Amino acid sequence: MTRIFAGRTRLGVAIVSLCLLAAGCSTTATTKYWGQVEAPDDNVLRYITGSEPESLDPSFVTGQPEARILIGLFDRLVEYHPKTMQPIPSMATHWEVSDDGIDYTFHLRKNGKYSNGDPITAKDFEWSFKRALSPELASRYAFIGFEIKYAEQYNAKQSFAKKDGKFLNADENGEPLDSCDVDGPACLTLAADEESLAKIKKDNAELATRIEGAEFVEIKPDDIGVNATDDYTLEVTLKQPAPYFVGMLTHQFFAAVHRPTIEKHGKNWIKPENIVTSGAFKVEEWKPYDEMTIVRDPNYWDAKNVKLDAVKFYPMDEQTTMMNIYKAGRVDALYNHTVPAAWNEFIRQFKDEYLLHPEVTIEYYTFSVKKKPFDNLDVRKAFSLAVNRESLEVLRKTVKKSADFVPLGIFPEYEKARTKVFAELSEKDGITPEQMQKRLFDPTAACAHMKKAGYSVQMTGSDKCKVTDFPLDGVELSYNTAESNKQVAEFVQSQWQQNLGLTIPLKNMEFKTYLPYRSAIEYKGVARAGWVGDFMDPYTFLSQFYTEANDSSTGWWDPVYDKMLDDANKTLDPEKRYEKLAEAEYYVLKDQPVMPLSVAGTSWMKKPYVKGMYPNPGTMHPWKFVYIEKDRAKWDQNVDKIMTEQSDPAIDAEVAALMKSQLDFERANASKSEEGGEDEETDKTE
Amino acid sequence: MLQFIFKRLIVIIPMALVVVTVTWGLIRTAPGNFYSTEKKLPPAIEKNIKEKYGLDKPWYVQYGKLMGNIIRLDFGDSLKYEGQSVNEIIWRHLPYSATIGFLAYLVALLIGLTAGIIAALRQNSAFDYSSMALSMLGLSVPNFVLGPILVLIFALWLFWLPPARWGGVSSVVMPVITLAAVYAAYIARLTRAGMLEVLRSDYIRTARAKGLDEKTVLLKHALRGGIIPVVSFTGPALASLLAGTVVVERVFAIPGLGNIFIQSVLNRDEPLILGIVAFLSILVMIFNLIVDISYGYLDPRIRYE
Repeated sequence: MTRIFAGRTRLGVAIVSLCLLAAGCSTTATTKYWGQVEAPDDNVLRYITGSEPESLDPSFVTGQPEARILIGLFDRLVEYHPKTMQPIPSMATHWEVSDDGIDYTFHLRKNGKYSNGDPITAKDFEWSFKRALSPELASRYAFIGFEIKYAEQYNAKQSFAKKDGKFLNADENGEPLDSCDVDGPACLTLAADEESLAKIKKDNAELATRIEGAEFVEIKPDDIGVNATDDYTLEVTLKQPAPYFVGMLTHQFFAAVHRPTIEKHGKNWIKPENIVTSGAFKVEEWKPYDEMTIVRDPNYWDAKNVKLDAVKFYPMDEQTTMMNIYKAGRVDALYNHTVPAAWNEFIRQFKDEYLLHPEVTIEYYTFSVKKKPFDNLDVRKAFSLAVNRESLEVLRKTVKKSADFVPLGIFPEYEKARTKVFAELSEKDGITPEQMQKRLFDPTAACAHMKKAGYSVQMTGSDKCKVTDFPLDGVELSYNTAESNKQVAEFVQSQWQQNLGLTIPLKNMEFKTYLPYRSAIEYKGVARAGWVGDFMDPYTFLSQFYTEANDSSTGWWDPVYDKMLDDANKTLDPEKRYEKLAEAEYYVLKDQPVMPLSVAGTSWMKKPYVKGMYPNPGTMHPWKFVYIEKDRAKWDQNVDKIMTEQSDPAIDAEVAALMKSQLDFERANASKSEEGGEDEETDKTE
Repeated sequence: MLQFIFKRLIVIIPMALVVVTVTWGLIRTAPGNFYSTEKKLPPAIEKNIKEKYGLDKPWYVQYGKLMGNIIRLDFGDSLKYEGQSVNEIIWRHLPYSATIGFLAYLVALLIGLTAGIIAALRQNSAFDYSSMALSMLGLSVPNFVLGPILVLIFALWLFWLPPARWGGVSSVVMPVITLAAVYAAYIARLTRAGMLEVLRSDYIRTARAKGLDEKTVLLKHALRGGIIPVVSFTGPALASLLAGTVVVERVFAIPGLGNIFIQSVLNRDEPLILGIVAFLSILVMIFNLIVDISYGYLDPRIRYE
């Protein structure tokens, strides 16, 4: 009998616990903070950055988890502004661009030091850039450096062609060249292995005759457009103007690595016992899949402004585990997209902790434009117009609707130009402002487009229709397996069902299986895609459709569009350049190779005592600005306004002080060129 | 006996090679590769990567090299984790999994055997019914449900234990309980059934008839035969427990082998997948061998030929 009673007691305990648990939940909901909130005694930030870092080699890694760690470990010429992610001076105090937008000169500070005390010079940056671009390193991110002259060719092991002692000109009508100096006209470059040469012989008779009898000179690291003219001046020559180039240099790919360490230890240079770093922090301990600790480096040039003693990164993959550990007060901040969709409604009420801001990411569906039925522009338009993005926004809770490809809320200056340009161009095309607005959802127009495409359309309501003879058997909506992707796919499917009367089957695939499937355009009709900007410029999105080998996975390509982008990038005046980019965006959207759906939101949490950490568009935090505020009165409140109204004077002043060197330099240059253009040249050579 | 062990050991290596070959074939037929990301790579970069990792060679050259490596018990370097060898990764993460697995099995044995024996001795009593009902519950509640429930109560409501991560005794408690529950339940049922069968057998009646006291009958005679099903179960169970359990390690963010294994598959990290698969298969075969050997000690009727 007693045993049965014991069993009952156990059941009772369980029931009581569950009741108390429910009560616990409801009490948490009414308190200000979620879970345990107590500022730590030490100056250590505990952070979850996602998966285990694959390496600590900044030139080699590609993922965001690694990128966030490496911001602390390796210094670059410029670093991210903590709020906007625009470049601000770091190792380079100031820089200048030649009038043709090709030559960049960076002036380095003289007190830069590696973690072992060695000075960081322009020569170190030169070596680091060249190593990062080398074919031997085989970095997946090498393409980010391809704006540098001959960098792409060096990475692809190409050669110059030399005939009669002179180099062939890239321009077939151009004179042969004495040298392939980066400052001179471009030399002809080509892959000179037997296979490629045989292919040229077969496919390109003209080129084959040109290079007949030529000797091939392999492109060496010294041929590319990176050159340290002295210890503190670095010159970079680009292949064509790229006004976004300085912004790219915030990427870890362009960080300073320590040559002697790499030459001595080879691939083992990243082990904690060997590694030499150049950033505000250095590696203290690395326990894979468990913890990585980086500590303040006293050798760092700005060490006095580094507030944290250490940052601890905990690699983790399960969203709920991250949330649990956050709630229990065992980490201080999380990375983006950590709040599970189902929790969103509950979590967002913690206004002092939950950060939802626009992200430099566009979510969209691609069309296979070379295959039926999506080779028809009207069909593409119809499918895009038949999806109510407003409802999608309500459903997803963390995203913002978008019919444009460059995400809204990230590039305010570009948006101004875009509004203006889109209004002008649409007027020219006879599209009313109302119609422009209704690109987000216009079922009536969608039906009209289907009709125009030649399908039989029966109206089933005032704005809904049923397309009866659309070839459904060849069409699928493909996406990579993820809860949120499934939610969107099912929503879009139902929209097409309601508004066009078409039931498009869904197909989901594991991520790594999906990628080659989509990029080879093997999908049937429609596929899910998302694009995270590589740098803070609209071009990172628009270049998705640039050149025939573009990354859009649609099959779409238009030389006119390429020319528009080239023209825009040659324009040095930022405002005019944005207008030209907006024209290009209008041009590509008019052809609808993709249907933009939404701009992603950051969606993460931090404890209110973590300050100097902002929900910037890429969730990239320069750790030197972050600190732990022990004084409860100064804790962050209502972080919705953290990017605008709520300022942190200390951090703002610090950022302003860093930016001063470049602003002063630009101002001085401007006043000089006003005084007389002739002086400018002499200034630059100083 | 020695001959038996020797014969079995000889088979292990070719068996492992077969397992690895099949796995290798499966990985190769799966689309995608370790370097693919959302951004499409320019062909030249892809070529550099293939050259760097020897993926540009014909498949039989790659396969031959792989087999050569495995025979030397060297699986090469991970493709995903730059500069880390597969052996280094396995040996680094095995202790975490092994600690949790071993503790969990110990707890499971303790609870399972005790409950099973008492239930068998007091068949149809209240204890029997309640413990068997509880074990049914243990079997049917999956660990990905039990784990989060424990976390909810002890980590997020009472704040007694850390919700996840490795570090100290307190961090081991919940993973061990989560993992042990289902094994304890299973062992309890196996023990009960085994004991019930043995208790009815002739040799127990003989032992009792000899006038042996109940304690000797139970512990010296009945138990040895009664737990044979548990022993057969222990081999594979212990092998898989020691080598890591995916769900528990992920829920509790434990840097164990199971966690690494699932990640290596998602990453298409071929050497790491093959290394772990080979290691696991060898481990399972060795544990099975140990189980087979132990039968002889438990049941005098079993002889090795």
